[in-house]
Amino acid sequence: MTALKLENVNKSFGSVHVLKDINLTVEDGEFVVFVGPSGCGKSTLLRVIAGLEDATSGTVAIGGDVVNAVPPAKRGIAMVFQSYALYPHLSVKDNMGLGLKQEGKSNAVVDERVSKASAMLDLDNYLTRRPAELSGGQRQRVAIGRAIVRDPKLFLFDEPLSNLDAALRMNTRVEIAALHRTLSASMIYVTHDQIEAMTLADKIVVLRDGRVEQVGSPMELYNNPANQFVAGFLGSPSMNFLSQSVTGLENGTTLGIRPEHLRFDANGQISGQVTHVERLGGDTNLLVKTDADEVLTVRLFGQDPTEVGDDVRLSYENANAFFFDQNGQRALPRAA
Amino acid sequence: MATPSKSGFKWHIVVFLAPAVIVYTAVMIYPLFATLRLSFYSEVEQERIWVGLQNFATLFGDAIWSEQFWNALGNNAWFFLIHMLVQNPIGIALAAILSSPKLRFSAFYRSAIFIPTILSFVIVGFAWKLILSPIWGIAPDMLDAIGLKFLYQPWLGKEEYALTTLSLVSVWQFVGIPMMLIYAALLSIPDEILEAGECDGITGLSAFFKIKLPLILPSIGIISVLTFVANFNAFDLIYAAQGALAGPDFSTDILGTFMYRTFFGFQLQLGDPHMGSTIASAMFGIILIGVCIYLFGIQRRLRNYQF
Repeated sequence: MTALKLENVNKSFGSVHVLKDINLTVEDGEFVVFVGPSGCGKSTLLRVIAGLEDATSGTVAIGGDVVNAVPPAKRGIAMVFQSYALYPHLSVKDNMGLGLKQEGKSNAVVDERVSKASAMLDLDNYLTRRPAELSGGQRQRVAIGRAIVRDPKLFLFDEPLSNLDAALRMNTRVEIAALHRTLSASMIYVTHDQIEAMTLADKIVVLRDGRVEQVGSPMELYNNPANQFVAGFLGSPSMNFLSQSVTGLENGTTLGIRPEHLRFDANGQISGQVTHVERLGGDTNLLVKTDADEVLTVRLFGQDPTEVGDDVRLSYENANAFFFDQNGQRALPRAA
Repeated sequence: MATPSKSGFKWHIVVFLAPAVIVYTAVMIYPLFATLRLSFYSEVEQERIWVGLQNFATLFGDAIWSEQFWNALGNNAWFFLIHMLVQNPIGIALAAILSSPKLRFSAFYRSAIFIPTILSFVIVGFAWKLILSPIWGIAPDMLDAIGLKFLYQPWLGKEEYALTTLSLVSVWQFVGIPMMLIYAALLSIPDEILEAGECDGITGLSAFFKIKLPLILPSIGIISVLTFVANFNAFDLIYAAQGALAGPDFSTDILGTFMYRTFFGFQLQLGDPHMGSTIASAMFGIILIGVCIYLFGIQRRLRNYQF
């Protein structure tokens, strides 16, 4: 069964066309991440799925039912907001239980579901506190708990980690992944952070300017990007694009090569000078300015003695090279 | 680097505070204490003498004085009650309607409802006297036009209606103030909280009562205390509409008009600054007690929410 099916969904705000012909399927139990630069429409798409915005055209089906005219609470979804959006005047327990009470569930059912969620999220000691008395990570967990108690067909996360600091972000990411395994629920997760996308997703949807650029598993997208945008967006440091520094490229064609696939080679065809070195301990990132005046990143594993100002020559395996035509679409590698 | 010595007296604090302290003292603190002081004196044979609490004893003990005082206080309490029960709920309801994103022309409604607030009391009192007048007012004709003429009463001229009518006129004039304060409080509630409510099925009226109302309670508390202070200090509208005698037969007499009549005199009644000050001191005490009850009894229990 499909948890979500979008068909030709369009959304306009006045004359601004934000979402353009989105077609997408989310299978049951799948963890789907919408990723893209800010303003690409990913949050709007999530809000259309939630029912907080109406699609201008097209159909939204959740669990097999078309829900275009169904209010958010009846769609079988639960949403976790970027700012958590907890009710400031209610305790943790009431925050989680309010939606169920509104549905008319009995107190026993509400208590049972809340205590189950709070045990799962380690919130038992905080049930009587108000949101103002909680840390950012705890508020985050309450927001997730509020979603869990509703037992939705589809979880929606709107950049839930962006207000947390780096260490907590990593922990929460692991928790969300664990939660997904425990609940085996369908989840849609919006982020602009490609690391979150790569680490969490079963399926990544890359969006740009309101269009789906590519859909696929993280490794499919990494190993086989459909176009230059996807290639550059996923992977950190991002892919190098060269059009001058290597010989034999057809006019307008761009060569893409990931930083980790470049290596020192005295006979390499790319030559340049190191302009900056980032030593991360486990990795060393070099910025190299080629003789053709293009800047590229080289990622070396481990520590490396290279200094700024050194002249280097680089090469790569042909199997790791990507080619893009002047429209940014994948081109076939030239016949060797 | 030169650091200011810790023991040195910080003159700049005095200099910066001085203008506000001087002005506030001259126009507020000094007159207040001068009035309180005046209430402990009386004038006998053109000479001011210290009488202690004698004036208060007269005000509360003497049958003629105390009857007027309790009448004014009772009327004032009714005046306040009408504002609390009519003005503030309507103000909150208007704010809730105005803050709905679906409402068109909301800026126009907001201005239109707020404009009476900036009108002079004299204009409001006079205009409503004309509107409600049984002789040349438009109220009887308008009721006649919709077949409800039998409902018409000379509202300002009947003892049982006059105070309520004037209270409602005051409500009409000032409903914009609670509306604006609540409107601002409602706008400060983040959209995401309301959207989270929407996902929980809390929309419309239940969104108002379960989410918005608890979050604007602190503003409602402030409005209540502002209403209390304004109502017990009220004077202008009654004076403009009914004069200092607050007719008919003192039925619209509130503490402000009672104090004015006593202090400055009116028609055959001679002015008595000492008894007038005594009434003013009593008003000050009543307002002080009311505000203290609010501050220590109610406001402490209200939480302010940071979003």
